[in-house]
Amino acid sequence: MAKARTLDRRRKSIRNTRKITRTMELVATAQFRRAMDRAVAASSYTKRIVSLVKDLSHAGVSVTHPLLEQRAEIKNVALLVLTANRGMCGGYNANMIRMSMTRWHELQQEFGDSATLEISGKRGISAFRFRGIEPDLFYTHFEDKPTFDEVNELASRYIEEYYDEKIDRLEIIYTKFISMSKQEAVHETLLPMTELVTEEDVLDYSPSNGIVDEKEKKSESELRKEAMIRAAQAKLDKAGVAVVREGGEIPFDFYPSAQSVMEEVVPNAFRVKLFKSFLDAGVNEQISRMVAMKAATENADQMISSLNTAYNRARQGQITNEIIEVTSGFQALGG
Amino acid sequence: MRCVVVTPEETILNVESDFVAIPLYDGEIGIGGHHTPLVGRLGCGELRIKDKENLSSYYVENGFVEVLNNTVTLLTNRAVPISELDIDKSTALLNSALKKFTKNEEQLDLKEQNIFAARSQVRLARKAKGE
Repeated sequence: MAKARTLDRRRKSIRNTRKITRTMELVATAQFRRAMDRAVAASSYTKRIVSLVKDLSHAGVSVTHPLLEQRAEIKNVALLVLTANRGMCGGYNANMIRMSMTRWHELQQEFGDSATLEISGKRGISAFRFRGIEPDLFYTHFEDKPTFDEVNELASRYIEEYYDEKIDRLEIIYTKFISMSKQEAVHETLLPMTELVTEEDVLDYSPSNGIVDEKEKKSESELRKEAMIRAAQAKLDKAGVAVVREGGEIPFDFYPSAQSVMEEVVPNAFRVKLFKSFLDAGVNEQISRMVAMKAATENADQMISSLNTAYNRARQGQITNEIIEVTSGFQALGG
Repeated sequence: MRCVVVTPEETILNVESDFVAIPLYDGEIGIGGHHTPLVGRLGCGELRIKDKENLSSYYVENGFVEVLNNTVTLLTNRAVPISELDIDKSTALLNSALKKFTKNEEQLDLKEQNIFAARSQVRLARKAKGE
C-alpha cells in the first residue's frame, strides 16, 4: 500500500502546483494584454515623430545637437539595466543579467570607478548583490506599467548629467520586442544618440494580433466624412489652390524655423526611446512569464498523467497481490 | 478640421473641431479650417479647442504641432484638461523651479523653461477654478 500512497501524494502536490502555474499563466496573459495596449497606444507618438523628422529632412535641415555629438574623450559611463521585479518568467531575467554582468566587467576594466551601474528591478539588483556588486542607483518602482512621467524624470536627469559631463555615455541593456515569438536581450548606446528616431523604432505589433489603438479607430460615419473632405480638397487642388507641390514636397511654414524644431526633436527622441525601452521590457516580461508558465502547466499535466498510470498500476498490483494471498491461504487450508 | 493630441503614452484626443488655439513657443496661434501646412514648436500653456458650441481647454507642455491636410496634430509630453490641474502642486513646482541653482547655459535654459511651465500651470489652474 505504501507505494501507491506516495504516488498519490505526489500526484496531489503536482496538481496543486499545476493550479498555481495555470493561474499565473492567466494573470500574465491579462497583464500582457494591458502592457501591449499601452505599448500600442504609445507607438502612435513615435510614428508621428518619425513622419515629422521625415518632413523636416525634406525641408533640408541638418541637425547638430549636443546630444548627438560624440565626445572626443569618454571618462564617465553609465550602464542602465532593466530587469523585472519578479521571477517565474523563464530566461527573461537571466539573459539580461548574464549580458549586463559581462558588459559591467568590461566597463570596470576600461573605466574603473568612473563607470556607474544603475539597475531597475529587484531581480537584477539581487543578482548583482549576490556577486558582491552594489549598484550605484537602483529603482524598483517601475512595475509592468511605467508611466511617461516616471521615465521622463529619469530621462531629464540623464540629459542634465550629460550636459554637466557627469556622464559621457549612457548604455542600456534591456529586452527588445522584435515579434510576438521573438524577444532579445540587447545592449544599446542611448547617449550620445547615434541617430534620430527611425522607422525601426516604431513598434511593429503585427495587426494579425487584432491589437488596434482604440482611440485611433474611426467609426464608419467618420470615415465617410473624411472621404468627403478629401474629395472637396481634391477639387480645391484642381482649382489651382495647390496644397502639395510637385514632387510631393510640402511647403511647410516653420515656427520659428525648421532648425529650431529639429533641435527640440532631439531630446524628445531620446526621452521617447528610453520610454519605449521600458515599455518593451514590460511587454516582454509578461510574454516570457506567459510562455514559461504555459510550459510549466504542460509539464505538470504530463507528470500527472504518467503518475496516474504508475499509481493505477501500483494499485492494480496491490489488488492482484491481495487476491493471490487470499486464494493461496484458501488453498493452504485445504479448500 | 480634425484635431489630434498625442502624448508618448497615448492618443489623448482625436476630435472634429472648428477652431484651435495653440500655445507656440513665443505666443499663441489660431488655426481654422484648411490652414496652410505648418510645423511649429509648442511652448507651455493653454490649448483651446472649439467645436460649434463646446470649448474644451487643455494644458500642454512642450512638443510640436503639425498642420497638414486639414488635420492639426499636437505631439506633446503632457496634455491634461485644465480642470485636473492642482494649484498647490503647481505652486510647489514653481517654487522649486525658482530655487534651482545653475552652472551653465544649458541648465539656465532648462531652468527658465521649468519656471515658465510652472507659471502657466498655476495660471491655468486658477483659471479653471474661476479665480
